[in-house]
Amino acid sequence: MPPVLTIARLTIFEAIRRRVVLTVFILTPIVVGLTGWGFSKLTHLSHNDGAPLSRPEVRLNEAVLLILIAFMFSVVMAIGASFLAAPALANDIESGLLLAMLPRPIRRAEVVLGKWLGLAAPLVIYAFIAGGLELEVVYAVTGYLPPGPAEAIAYIAAQSLVLLTVTLFASTRLAPMASGIIVVVLFGAGWIIGIAQTVGSTFNNHTLANAGTAFSLVFPSDGLWRGAVAALEPAVVLAEGVQYDPLAATGSPTTAYLVWAALWGAGMLAWAIYSFSRREL
Amino acid sequence: MIDPENRAPILLEETSTPAIRTLDLAKRYGKITALRGLTMSVPRGEIFGFLGPNGAGKTTAVKLLLGLARPSGGEGWVLSAPLGDLEARRRVGYLPELFRYQEWLTAREVLALHCSLARLPRRRWADEIAGALRLVGLDRRGDSRVSTFSKGMQQRLGLGVALLGSPDLVVLDEPTSALDPVGRVEVRDIIHELKRRGATVFLNSHLLSEVEQVVDRVAVIDHGHVLALSGIADFTADTQTVRVRLTGVTASGSMPVGRFSLTPQADGWWMARGIMRDQAPDLVAALVGLGARVYAVEPGHHTLEERFLQLLKGGEHASGADYRPTDHI
Repeated sequence: MPPVLTIARLTIFEAIRRRVVLTVFILTPIVVGLTGWGFSKLTHLSHNDGAPLSRPEVRLNEAVLLILIAFMFSVVMAIGASFLAAPALANDIESGLLLAMLPRPIRRAEVVLGKWLGLAAPLVIYAFIAGGLELEVVYAVTGYLPPGPAEAIAYIAAQSLVLLTVTLFASTRLAPMASGIIVVVLFGAGWIIGIAQTVGSTFNNHTLANAGTAFSLVFPSDGLWRGAVAALEPAVVLAEGVQYDPLAATGSPTTAYLVWAALWGAGMLAWAIYSFSRREL
Repeated sequence: MIDPENRAPILLEETSTPAIRTLDLAKRYGKITALRGLTMSVPRGEIFGFLGPNGAGKTTAVKLLLGLARPSGGEGWVLSAPLGDLEARRRVGYLPELFRYQEWLTAREVLALHCSLARLPRRRWADEIAGALRLVGLDRRGDSRVSTFSKGMQQRLGLGVALLGSPDLVVLDEPTSALDPVGRVEVRDIIHELKRRGATVFLNSHLLSEVEQVVDRVAVIDHGHVLALSGIADFTADTQTVRVRLTGVTASGSMPVGRFSLTPQADGWWMARGIMRDQAPDLVAALVGLGARVYAVEPGHHTLEERFLQLLKGGEHASGADYRPTDHI
């Protein structure tokens, strides 16, 4: 087995043996079940005068609520990616585990790539399993399916990969806690700057808009989240609120942006490899 | 564990070169010099003791040899390849001083992981793992998780990991620090077995009495450079004394014998000080002339610990040793 796959397998094995996978697969159905129950109540909502909500109103509520749940899901994925990646290299360095492994005929690059693969693969698989389960339950309860379900999950998975990669880079030099905190702060900053960008664009404030664009290029986390929002927004949401809602997306990311995000991820991974290769143990 | 048929062919040229050779190897961490100009050579098949006080630069040197750190200066070769060479690392086993293995794995799984990382053929894994577990006395605990192991058992596991694939060079950093006396004897036996099959052992330990029993040669380093490098017999020899065991003479204290003076010791032994080894026959002749019966004559001898302390406290170089701080041996 190539060393990259050996390390990836070891990383996945650690997540299983440390009961990370078990915990996630117990909690996920509980959370999905609760949200499904919440969605089932939407169809019975009424106005203050007792009149039931019209079909478009119910659909609007379903769409907005699903976007909020997707945002919660993206936060969970982002924090999960940080929690998994922050100790991945730093802990192995600090504990001395790598002292026994690295004298073997294995390149530092293979360790980093193996760790990345062993964290990225379960993360993406989980995104599609949990995201798909949520959408299935919502569809079963309400009959509502957003316009781009697979696309939305793919954007959220891609966002978590961005956070995973940057955390792994930080893990080559910093203690696990520092790496995790930095990346969660970057994630939050990206989100709030993305909102500022939408506000700037809506009200023709070029400074805010340009700052948002610049940050989405420097750290392509919120840009990908906006892609997920765009894939989850049905026409009714766009018609009702997009002009005034800073949380909404005006459209999918361009192909150029997606290519940039992919290159950014590859570059960050290459930087992580370089950083770890230069690290003295 | 040893399967000569499956071992890569070793060129004659390779075996004639030292297992380890360093030339002015240096390492600086910022303003701190951890190792300054380490020059030494470890022949193949030798058990080599690498000694020094805390902070002498021993662990730094080991890390440089294994490619865990990059030298700030100088050069080095391990198994004829430059430091850090991947192919050479296939034939090196290492037990770190800070031995930690994945606690969520079983001992068998840790060994399988290292079989994979060492790129051993899959068909050899079962034998290698069983052999390693048996050798280090963990054959009944192979399926237990490392988290349930005592420190001593983890060190045994680390030794098993280091010996996978019958490496040509085994680097042992404090290999008995967590072991009980029985375990220490077992490790000594393992080291002797490694020598019998022709492996080179690079041993770093503070337990000098243990080291003295197994090594062929020692290097003592301090403040990042070599103080002495010598065969163990030469290093511990006391060239100024000779011991003799005899009967037929009586004396309550020191006894003049020709131009020598003997001091009584226990069990019929006497010690002559200030005598060169080639003068021993003269001493024996003088004793026989006095009517003594001489049963044994042996050169004086220090323990490794005594020589080590003399060297460090006195700042002297090993007397009678082939000390060559800037040359290859």
